[in-house]
Amino acid sequence: MKFDLLLTGVGGEGVLTTGVMITKAAHEEGKYVRGVQLHGLSQRGGTIPTYIRFGDKEGIHSPAPMKADVDLVMSFEPIEAVRATEYARKDKTNFVLNTYPYMPIYGNLENVPYPDMDEIKKRIEPFAKDIKVFKTDKRAKKEFGDIIYGNVMLVGAAVSSGELPLDKDTVRSAVESMAPRNVEENLKAFALGLEMGRE
Amino acid sequence: MRCLEEAGEKVPMLGNEAIARGAIEAGVGLVASYPGTPSSEVPMTLSRLSDKLDYYFEYSSNEKVAFETAAGAAWSGVRSIVPMKHFGLNVAADSVSPVAYSGVKAGMVIMVADDPKGWSSAQSEQDTRYYGEMCRLPIIEPANPQEARELTEKAFDLSEEFELPFILRTTTKISHSVETVELGERKDIETEGYFEGEEEMFDNVGPGLQRQHRKVDRKLEEIEEKYGEKLNRVEKSGTEKDEIGIIVSGVSYDYVKEAMQKLDINAPLAKLVMTYPISKKFISNFIEDKEEVLVVEELQPFVEKEVQRIAKDTNPELKIHGKDLLPKDGEYNLEVIIPALEEVFDKDIGIDFEEHEEKAKDAMEGLPPRKPVFCPGCPHRSTFYALKKIYGKNIMYGGDVGCYALGTFEPYDMQDFLISMGASLGLTHGVKKVSDQDVVVTVGDSTFFHNGMPGLANYAYNDGEAPLIVVFDNRWTAMTGHQPHPGTGKTGMGEDVTPLKIEDIAEAMGAEVEIANSFSQEELEEKIKELKQKDGLRVLVSKGECRLVTKRRKKREGKPIVKFQVEQDKCTKCGICTEEFACPAIKEERKQKGEEPKYTIDPDICLGCSVCSQVCPQGAIKPRKGE
Repeated sequence: MKFDLLLTGVGGEGVLTTGVMITKAAHEEGKYVRGVQLHGLSQRGGTIPTYIRFGDKEGIHSPAPMKADVDLVMSFEPIEAVRATEYARKDKTNFVLNTYPYMPIYGNLENVPYPDMDEIKKRIEPFAKDIKVFKTDKRAKKEFGDIIYGNVMLVGAAVSSGELPLDKDTVRSAVESMAPRNVEENLKAFALGLEMGRE
Repeated sequence: MRCLEEAGEKVPMLGNEAIARGAIEAGVGLVASYPGTPSSEVPMTLSRLSDKLDYYFEYSSNEKVAFETAAGAAWSGVRSIVPMKHFGLNVAADSVSPVAYSGVKAGMVIMVADDPKGWSSAQSEQDTRYYGEMCRLPIIEPANPQEARELTEKAFDLSEEFELPFILRTTTKISHSVETVELGERKDIETEGYFEGEEEMFDNVGPGLQRQHRKVDRKLEEIEEKYGEKLNRVEKSGTEKDEIGIIVSGVSYDYVKEAMQKLDINAPLAKLVMTYPISKKFISNFIEDKEEVLVVEELQPFVEKEVQRIAKDTNPELKIHGKDLLPKDGEYNLEVIIPALEEVFDKDIGIDFEEHEEKAKDAMEGLPPRKPVFCPGCPHRSTFYALKKIYGKNIMYGGDVGCYALGTFEPYDMQDFLISMGASLGLTHGVKKVSDQDVVVTVGDSTFFHNGMPGLANYAYNDGEAPLIVVFDNRWTAMTGHQPHPGTGKTGMGEDVTPLKIEDIAEAMGAEVEIANSFSQEELEEKIKELKQKDGLRVLVSKGECRLVTKRRKKREGKPIVKFQVEQDKCTKCGICTEEFACPAIKEERKQKGEEPKYTIDPDICLGCSVCSQVCPQGAIKPRKGE
């Protein structure tokens, strides 16, 4: 078994932290883990892709998966999902995204409007077997007053909708161990995510 | 506790963490480092664990001092490691070369992370392996975190055996890649040493120098003889006739392994772990019966050239592929390596990567571009804004290395060059000497301590017409992950110390010094105007703590951050906040292109620095109600 996940979003959004959490959960299930976490300049408001690969050790060597070959793209920012399409292909890749638009200042400066969700889906479709959109950012804002909980929620939704092949209990304990502060909120967000994914 | 788990446990780790663990397993007694991406997590991990373990840890003022500190410990019989980025080795090199001659008494590892593709905003794709040949030091290269852990310990042992520092060389995709790593036993940590000062180690005057040279060359020969075959290995699989072989080093090993699987290639694979000195015996044995070899290594053809040399004696007919099929620039990955293997082994994976990338590029066409930008609340944006207002964008701005280098992007465009740590001072000095251009120098706090001070001293000594030097002081080495520096008031082991004051140092060097609060446009403007009217060496220290650190502290203390909002009835849509100031928290929303925008501040990312409210000419930006 081998599963390739591309987690993407914007630096400062908690992509790295979420990646560490998923890595931890996969490890807890006894899976071999490989991946890439970029730190540094990319953290400053730039695109920040994190690759996570897990499964049997024999089939996984490269730190990053092959282009046109990942199983799942999970994006915390809609246009970054479009930027991930080079790793995706129509007969293989599923997409899970939220709806939080992080407009880059260069969009303002160059007067390029932020595309709406229909437009984003249309761009992704030629590379996607399936696209699932969860409004976890909005739900997190409503429930906790902070979109950051939307990340854990989106992971929950990806798990319960079957897109991320990890057990909800191992992910839950990873959430618990990763969040020394605000554990309660994070666990609640994860539970809400599980619910959203089932609907 | 991460990195302190028991031997035998399996833990997912970053390559850099695995190196830190390897150093702990080797019983390292002293760690000295100046942080630099992509190596920063090695010192960060060892700094974090310094209160749990017995070794001494420090963030040194630059890599040369860090190297010397580590070498001093190793001279005195205590194992030491000095992690740095590739350019760090350039800074340290002045001492590296002579220490290779002197040798060491305990294991010493120089960990250097190269950065092909420049993920860290690196200013060149330097290939550190040439330092091995130049400075006479062996180089060990892991392929992944598991090997990084094992080879770190190995490098300590070998260094001790041959009394010579070893370079442990990684690249970004080793340092920043993750793998389930199996941990090893931890040796006892020895922190007590004594400097014996043996004459034969330090006799490098006159004929002694040649003796030292011969000594280090002899050591390298012994290392090649004893470990050249042992450290490297040949993986022979399959039943094919094996006319074609692959020689690989570094992270490329992991790419090649997976690409071979995907393409169903069973060729013999020679994996080089020690890339300097390269074992002639190992390479000869591997190539003597081959018709073709493919050498896979990122950056320069360092191994390939050696294979060419060895093949002249062993197998002159051998066809050697390498940089004819693979690039010297950028970073490798599966998509780069697969086409080369397809070519050499006549295989086809069934995916045209170029075509696929083109298709993806089409899908991305016309999206709002995302480039690195100052974070919301960044004190540097505010300082640049005031400078822009008073000096404009069109004078020359001497640029330097740090977060403020982001001032190179629009709408600031106020970094004319980015060369090396502290280089803004010397380079502008040269320009000033041959032109009458208006110049402002921009340099950060950590960079000032690292290598900015000699440039300032030189200005004081040699230039009566020195320009305005602006020090962007955010209290931390922020870009690499907020490590402390001599001006922070904290050591790498978390102890409180008296911070060095940049203003005092500049004053002692004879500069006229002003201090301004980075978050006050009024203060910045006043001080910049004042200094602009004067002549001679002038330093403005713009002080404002990195807002990310402030945010974390406030969160820890349970204190709120007062966020800001745009009062729509007052906003005249002049666009200064987005087009001139450009904080990513300020949104300019339009449903359609050309439509009149609405300006709002995203409370989820606003860090409440208040500067936008100071630059809004209408006074339309105010703290959010109830906060």
